[in-house]
Amino acid sequence: MRKTFVSVLVLLLAAVLVLTACGGTGNTTAESNTNNSTATNNNPSAVAEDEPVTIIIANGKGELTALYEQAAKDFMTENPNITVEVHTGAVGDSLSVLDRLTSSGVVVTLAMVEPNGVLEKYKDFGIDLSGERWVEETNDAIKNAEGTIVGFPFSIEGFGLVYNKQVVENAVGGSFDPFSINTRDKLIALFDQLQASGVQYPVAYQTEGWSVSNHYSSQFLNQAEDPNSIVNQLKAGTFDLASNEVWNGYYDTMDLLASEQYNKYGERPIGQYYDDAHVSVGKGESAILFNGNWAFDSLQAVAGDSFGFIPVPVDNNPDNPLNNKIVAGPTNIYIINKDATPAQQEAAKKYLNWLVYDEVGQDWLVNKAQVISAFKNNPHKVTNPLGAAIAVAIAQGKTMPFSTNYIVPGDWFSILGPEVQQYIDKRKSREDLAQAIQSYYTSN
Amino acid sequence: MKRLGNQLFFTGPTMIFFSIALLIPFVYGFYLTLMKMATPVSPMEYAGVENYLRAIRDNKFWDSMWLTIKYVGATIVLVNVTGFALAYLVTSGLRKQNFFRTAFFTPNLIGGLVLGYIWQFIFVRSLPTLGEKLGVELFRLGWLGDANLAFWALVIVTVWQSAGYMMIIFIAGLISIPRDVIEASTIDGANSWQRLTRMTIPLMVPAFVITVFLSLKNAFMVYDLNFALTGGGPYDSTKMVSMHVVQKAFIENNYGVGQAEAIILFVIVAVVTGVQVYYSKKMEVSG
Repeated sequence: MRKTFVSVLVLLLAAVLVLTACGGTGNTTAESNTNNSTATNNNPSAVAEDEPVTIIIANGKGELTALYEQAAKDFMTENPNITVEVHTGAVGDSLSVLDRLTSSGVVVTLAMVEPNGVLEKYKDFGIDLSGERWVEETNDAIKNAEGTIVGFPFSIEGFGLVYNKQVVENAVGGSFDPFSINTRDKLIALFDQLQASGVQYPVAYQTEGWSVSNHYSSQFLNQAEDPNSIVNQLKAGTFDLASNEVWNGYYDTMDLLASEQYNKYGERPIGQYYDDAHVSVGKGESAILFNGNWAFDSLQAVAGDSFGFIPVPVDNNPDNPLNNKIVAGPTNIYIINKDATPAQQEAAKKYLNWLVYDEVGQDWLVNKAQVISAFKNNPHKVTNPLGAAIAVAIAQGKTMPFSTNYIVPGDWFSILGPEVQQYIDKRKSREDLAQAIQSYYTSN
Repeated sequence: MKRLGNQLFFTGPTMIFFSIALLIPFVYGFYLTLMKMATPVSPMEYAGVENYLRAIRDNKFWDSMWLTIKYVGATIVLVNVTGFALAYLVTSGLRKQNFFRTAFFTPNLIGGLVLGYIWQFIFVRSLPTLGEKLGVELFRLGWLGDANLAFWALVIVTVWQSAGYMMIIFIAGLISIPRDVIEASTIDGANSWQRLTRMTIPLMVPAFVITVFLSLKNAFMVYDLNFALTGGGPYDSTKMVSMHVVQKAFIENNYGVGQAEAIILFVIVAVVTGVQVYYSKKMEVSG
């Protein structure tokens, strides 16, 4: 009995192995086919313009799933020889759709990754895009470590102190210019005014790990013209955070945001407050939270559409540029796979140009997807008020680099996020936090 | 030969699916632990046991393992005690007992993720509101912001979710106890407490073997509830071992080490549940 069972098992395993082996060979033939076509297509002039080609796009920003399909359809109508296959990662999925497709043997043609990924995780992935026409229309093309342009900026995003216009205007009695808050004392004065107007807790400070570490705690990098220079000093162990005024300044402001006096969650500042904070500010029970333009998705669900950004003040010097600017920069970057066939690469480039130059593409990007375009020639404006606030700030030159692009977000979220949260909960001192960040850089 | 054909016919489909869904991924997963991948898209290199050494030296892995063991201990006791109490209640001839059976079982039909978000709302919004209205200090601040309370929040939701399922197994066990044995003990003068501890529970060991095994395994492997309810917070104080493995592999991009930690977790769970089943089987009253 037992013997037959074992033999059945062995037989089955063998069968399964043969099956998978078949799958394997199937793959290899496909691969050698593409290799063949690569060989024949090596001479670009040999590529016929209308030869059918299929490109595979792996997208991030899962909230746009349906819209990506629409874009692909519109693009295919204009380019009948190109078939676009779109894959989009779900919101909150830890494993990127690009990694999943790659490890199952699919050669993704065009992939959307985070800016830091271009330099670290996918540094050997992309092809040189510096010869592309769109380069002259943007300041946000992403360069690799050697300085070659390899990344296409899909969107501009930004963060700062999101405020409910109605509540704030009610408190200050009239129109309110967010850029008038350019010192920490002025922010305190605003909080007091809000409290005087009946808002018990002006701030609903949500303290998710990614927010307090990746976003808030990277802001100090903007004190240097090139944030990378500070990252390099940190790696070399020559940058002392505890004695750095700007670094300390941001935590002085954080202390204020998390304080029992002003923060709705002040007595227990760490918790799962993301939804609650957005509901509070959306409804007007609180007035201010720290987040980016994507917060509108949550705010919109509960209230009208009058929101804006206040810069995060770092000290009491009104002339300090850090006090007068909000953080904004490219966030979702398209890179083209160097392992794709030349025909696929050409088609992918065409798709990128379609987003920049084609009227339908321009309209899709800004009006439908509500993405702030990184390209000067795009005539449209987003209607989402937080996005619009960033677009205006960009136009007025009141933005500074998206500091999160200079750190490794995955590491900061899982290694430093808990450290910052412990600091907020007063379980660790500021010196401990400085130490944690420095040793993260020197030990990796 | 004919027998082999028969066996293949009946067990074949199951075995194929078992292999595709479990066996092959497991073997391949083990193979991955011996490899080094710098990035998810880069080719693999042979690395020997390096991933295992790094996994063993990962202090946070053992911290989360210890936390998981505490969680396992708390949930096994509470889930089984609650499940048994509920089963005893709904088989004791209560009016509307079928309604109660359904009601207690329902939470089990809700997936862990949804459950986590529902209870997050309860812990962050409902309980604090209640606490403020009724002046209960314990509920006034959200539980998920305090390391200890967040841990117990996880335990409470787990009990709420799985006690109903265990109840069904206990009901089956309770019903199958021969009536004459209970009657005989009543005639011999045993009171209801004695009947419960001397007769019913010893006869129900087979049911306990199953429920303890299930709650042990579920608690060791918990991820969805952990992810949705506390997200590992506050500051990683409720990060169970599965969540640590997922973060190691997919957020910090340490595939090899994450996979090696998953294998270590598998070995620990396999040994613990194996020992549990072996010893509790011995306690069964041979009928």
